[in-house]
Amino acid sequence: MQGFDYLALLRVLAQNEVEFIVVGGVSAALQGGPANTLDLDIVYRRDAANIQRILVAFQSLAARFRMRPELSPNVSHLESTGHKLLITNLGPLDVLGSIGKQLTYEDLIEHTVEMNVDEFRVRVLQLDKLIQLKEELGREKDLAMLPTLRATLAEKRRLALK
Amino acid sequence: MADYDDGVEGLVDYAEDGEDLTLIRWMLSLTPEERLMAVQGCVNSIEAIRKQNAGI
Repeated sequence: MQGFDYLALLRVLAQNEVEFIVVGGVSAALQGGPANTLDLDIVYRRDAANIQRILVAFQSLAARFRMRPELSPNVSHLESTGHKLLITNLGPLDVLGSIGKQLTYEDLIEHTVEMNVDEFRVRVLQLDKLIQLKEELGREKDLAMLPTLRATLAEKRRLALK
Repeated sequence: MADYDDGVEGLVDYAEDGEDLTLIRWMLSLTPEERLMAVQGCVNSIEAIRKQNAGI
């Protein structure tokens, strides 16, 4: 691994015009939630053109599966809704065809906010939608994050009213 | 964030509570110095993006 840099990872995806949404702990952290997370989760559009753009980006990132570092993701992997848990030369990257109750890029796009990453615009899942998804998943890991996420959302709304 | 998933057989490994065991194993594979660098890298990246989006 050359380094650990979400910013550079997002820049590579954006430079290659990959259509994706940042979800999970990084989406919470970018919106002010004091979430601890070490991997970047993205949900991507699973059409053929976007998959090709992802594969080009993956070449420069040296992306491969964490479970099998000798294996790089291919078209077939990316066509599935499954989770591709990868390691890249800029850190861990989870590439998700769907999340929660099989929600896809198209299902989530209306629940995103655009953020600047240098000269690029990156879509990030809104905090209220992230909370809803974690409530629905209901797993120990997700439930543990909910008090922090709810308090962050409440505080953001309180500050917006001022 | 990831739900349980068997879409890519043999390439994911989640504990029952949802924890991603592949990420934990990856962290364990690093030296303590590398782990600190990983955490610092996260903080630096998030801080840099937050600064570019102060109003959000």
